Amino acid sequence: MKHTLKKVGALLLGLTLAAFTLVGCGSNGDKTVYRTVDEIKDKGTINIGVFSDKSPFGYVDENGQYQGYDVYFGNRIGADLGVKINYVSTEAANRIEYLQTGKVDIILANFTVTEKRAEEVDFTLPYMNVALGVVSPDSRVITSLDEIGPDDQVIVISGTTAETYLEETHPEIKLQKYDAYAEAKTAFENGNGCAWANDNTEVIAFAIENPGFTVGIPSLGSADTIAAAVTKGNATLLDWLNNEIVELGKENFFHADSEATLLDTYGKDYEDTLVVEGGVVAAK
Amino acid sequence: MRLLGGLWVAVRISLISVAISIVLGLVAGVLMTSKNKIIKAIFRVYLEIVRIMPQMVLLFIVYFGTTRVFGLNLEPEISAIIVFSFWGVAEMGDLVRGALISIPKIQYESAAALGLTSNQTYRFIILPQTIRRLIPLSINLITRMIKTTSLVMMIGIVEVLKVAQQIIEANRRVSPNAAFGVFAVVFILYFLICWPISKLAAYLEKKWAA
Amino acid sequence: MDFNVIISYLPRYRDALLLTLRVGWQGVFLALAVGILCAVVIDLKIPVLRRIVGFYIELFRNTPLLVQLFFLYFALPKIGLLISPVVCGTLGLGLLGGAYMAETFRSGLENIPPIQKESAESLGMTRMQVFAYVVLPQAVRSSVPGMMANVIFLLKETSVFSTISLMDLMFTAKDLIGMYAKTIECLTMLVVFYLVMLLPVSILGSILERRLRFAEFGD
Repeated sequence: MKHTLKKVGALLLGLTLAAFTLVGCGSNGDKTVYRTVDEIKDKGTINIGVFSDKSPFGYVDENGQYQGYDVYFGNRIGADLGVKINYVSTEAANRIEYLQTGKVDIILANFTVTEKRAEEVDFTLPYMNVALGVVSPDSRVITSLDEIGPDDQVIVISGTTAETYLEETHPEIKLQKYDAYAEAKTAFENGNGCAWANDNTEVIAFAIENPGFTVGIPSLGSADTIAAAVTKGNATLLDWLNNEIVELGKENFFHADSEATLLDTYGKDYEDTLVVEGGVVAAK
Repeated sequence: MRLLGGLWVAVRISLISVAISIVLGLVAGVLMTSKNKIIKAIFRVYLEIVRIMPQMVLLFIVYFGTTRVFGLNLEPEISAIIVFSFWGVAEMGDLVRGALISIPKIQYESAAALGLTSNQTYRFIILPQTIRRLIPLSINLITRMIKTTSLVMMIGIVEVLKVAQQIIEANRRVSPNAAFGVFAVVFILYFLICWPISKLAAYLEKKWAA
Repeated sequence: MDFNVIISYLPRYRDALLLTLRVGWQGVFLALAVGILCAVVIDLKIPVLRRIVGFYIELFRNTPLLVQLFFLYFALPKIGLLISPVVCGTLGLGLLGGAYMAETFRSGLENIPPIQKESAESLGMTRMQVFAYVVLPQAVRSSVPGMMANVIFLLKETSVFSTISLMDLMFTAKDLIGMYAKTIECLTMLVVFYLVMLLPVSILGSILERRLRFAEFGD
């Protein structure tokens, strides 16, 4: 018995040490993981992280092609840089991680600008407006967060602003978290939660596309913007993108983008409230 | 069908990993039979890590952790192959060790008596027998790897499940109930791939057991 | 590494550990029940039922848990069967594990030499008695190592629960990384918590295996 114990002890110690060396000793993150504009041009390919299941902003169509508002912008970035584009499918919770580890050069995945995130990544000028919204089934439309009872569960997607907002301001509301948009939407459709909280653009689109659901709370929390993001410190790419966004504003690019990708879903009414042109947010 | 393309990604990753696992696993297995205490301890810890840590955790550590710690930037597919091989080598190594130990001592002694060097003994006597015992087991490992590849969608590889989700997403407006059919197809696809392989393994095991 | 961060995350990980353990063990017990039942059905060669059980075992052994969960959780509601995440997780683990346990247990049953059954019967025992006093105890003993391996395997498989929105250890880590981007701390804690959960099981497994081996006669 004593012998076994000794072995067990040694094993425990060894495993813990191994665990720490595996992940632990990594505080020296000084190495640059990002690529400058010149390096991207040299390689001839740019990696852009987008959603693959968030229609109409970033999704994959029947033919396996990436489409949507974010992707339309991405395609233009590729064309203007003169490089091929490699779209990487991301989940909401991975977006910061992808940038910080240099897995992608740019995130164009409906990324809402927040102070917390700005500590981890660098945001460009905005290209879209956003706030939070809550959609619920017609049978029980939720028009205020107070209506959510102690037994109700609200669906959110891990790593989104809706999750952070609800956790911080309404810790009493029970959240049901999902990795991916596709999973959250299917679960919501199936009736797994009483409501779904997300970017209002997304919930509005969902209610329009799926009869039987109504956006009871169209705007929640502060009015935010959506921007592209690059790895913290990647100044050349950041400057290039900011310049690009301002330049594109002159040709009303994002209105064209919106007409090409969002019109089907939202109709003309939403265009001016959604689109941010040339990086300048219009005064409300 | 795009689903098949996704399935190919899954199968490719597992085949490459199995190939690596078999080669390195043989080496690891031989090392595991060593009498050296340090080597033994190292392998013990290695085996225990593989046994305890979910592959998903390892995937995350390799995919995101390595970039943080070493500044290495790994493609998702490479990380998947590394994790699967890491796991496969341990399993194969343990199987090889088991097979080696099960070979009666007398065979080593007879070989030595015939004047074979220890290298020759391994090459001509021990390894051929071991390999025959291992083939069914490593075929089994292939099916387990194919099944585990369903996890790689979590590190951004577009494989069967992810394609399935994308198809459901693209058709949400037209056919909101697509989820049932598509997931059922995925379920059957996996079964159709893995079932014949595991049958083959079971058949070989029985045939060669004698 | 920032230890304040680690301390502030501890409660979340503790909750996740408890949830993982709760669903995990429920799943394991369900798996044991299903497994033993199926193995007995096959061993006693009950007609039709045996075919169904055989098909179930092959089906669940040859598909990934993740795909099974997707099917149970996202596809079944489309035909009117809505189940909660916890039930779905337990059921998924139980069905997957049941198939594995059945295989392990069946080979345990097969290993018992027919002569033992014959001798027992010639001593005047009924078929039920033979099964209960002669076959079962030996079969359980010889399948313990395989079953312990299955238990570890099942508890590890809980790491895919994030897709059905169960806050298990893996999802907690991913979620925290997504919100606060403290990757290294989150991953380290994840590894430590899995060690805390599974190392005892693994050690218990080896001890049991050794005990049982010594308890056998002859060999």
